[in-house]
Amino acid sequence: MALIFRLSGKRFGQQMLITDKSGLFNFVRPVTLKAKPALSEKEEGHDERNMRLKRPQSPHLTIYAPQLTSMLSITHRFTGMALSAYAIALGLGAVVLPESIPHYIEELECAEIGSSCISAIKFILAFPITYHFWNGIRHLLWDAGKFLTIREVYITGYVMLALAISSAIALSAM
Amino acid sequence: MALALFLRSSARLQALPNLSRCVQFAPSSTSRPFSHLVQQLNKNPISATKSKVNVIATRGMSADHSKLWPIEKAVSIALLGLVPASIITPNPILDNLLAVAVVAHFHWGLEACVIDYIRPIIFGPVIPKLALGLLYLVSAATLGGLLYYNHNCIGIGCTAF
Ligand code: HEM
Repeated sequence: MALIFRLSGKRFGQQMLITDKSGLFNFVRPVTLKAKPALSEKEEGHDERNMRLKRPQSPHLTIYAPQLTSMLSITHRFTGMALSAYAIALGLGAVVLPESIPHYIEELECAEIGSSCISAIKFILAFPITYHFWNGIRHLLWDAGKFLTIREVYITGYVMLALAISSAIALSAM
Repeated sequence: MALALFLRSSARLQALPNLSRCVQFAPSSTSRPFSHLVQQLNKNPISATKSKVNVIATRGMSADHSKLWPIEKAVSIALLGLVPASIITPNPILDNLLAVAVVAHFHWGLEACVIDYIRPIIFGPVIPKLALGLLYLVSAATLGGLLYYNHNCIGIGCTAF
């Protein structure tokens, strides 16, 4: 292909030199384009690129102001991991522990640690599930495309927090 | 690729009014294969543009997630009903459904965490794979343990009280 162009260019230039009488075209030389394979872009991932450019982690947690949005978001992940830990402990504990699970619960209830301490333990167990439950609804609503404006995200955030804390208190009082 | 580049630049050259007036390589014998090629490129614009995009930056993370996503959401919605139901009215069927749904749900959830934090760029190529393998092991063991607990003990629903 390039050959055709070069050849035609040559012929073309000669034609011009012949037909041109003003002499202007003596300076004009036919342009020859050389075909070259395009250089491919560097294969580099998102992280590699940011590391090479010495960019700080995004969001830059040590300087970025904590906001309700980010704090609730990471808490959802944290409570999810806590609940997973509870579920894994229960599942593996049921098989591995020498006594049955109800036996340990009974022991805990009979131990003289005070009812407030029991309630505190219950709250620690209950809050992750209530938080994750109510915030899970929020996530699913977002996934359905609802409540996605900043204002709505804040409103649902406060409503969810109130529901999560009050239901956790209710559960740990039982 | 080279050809496409070449054609494009020559097209641009032709677009320059002065040159296009001068450049009249109209001898039909040479122009025919040329236009023929252009047509072929145009006929298949997707492949033409594809060849321009050499590298689509790969994050090296999850593969096609579009099929699994609705299932994950369905399980989350199921949990929404299963968790309160099995606390309020504990029974073996709910307990077993809950065990399966919870393990599936936290497995996908923890998988996302492992992929986000235990990245090959930080931990090298081996550890992330080991971590995922370990997660599969833990999830399977937990499912077994929870089902065992449901069948041989009081079950998940009762334990919550
Ligand atoms: C009670 C009903 C529950 C609902 C409605 C629910 C809902 C959700 C949703 C929607 C997500 C995805 C969040 C996102 O899009 O980033 C999620 C993540 C997660 N959930 Fe649940 N969940 C529930 C119970 C549980 C339980 C019982 C566990 C553990 C045993 C759990 C563990 C997790 C984990 C580990 C994640 C991943 C966190 C993350 O990727 O940030 N969830 N949950």
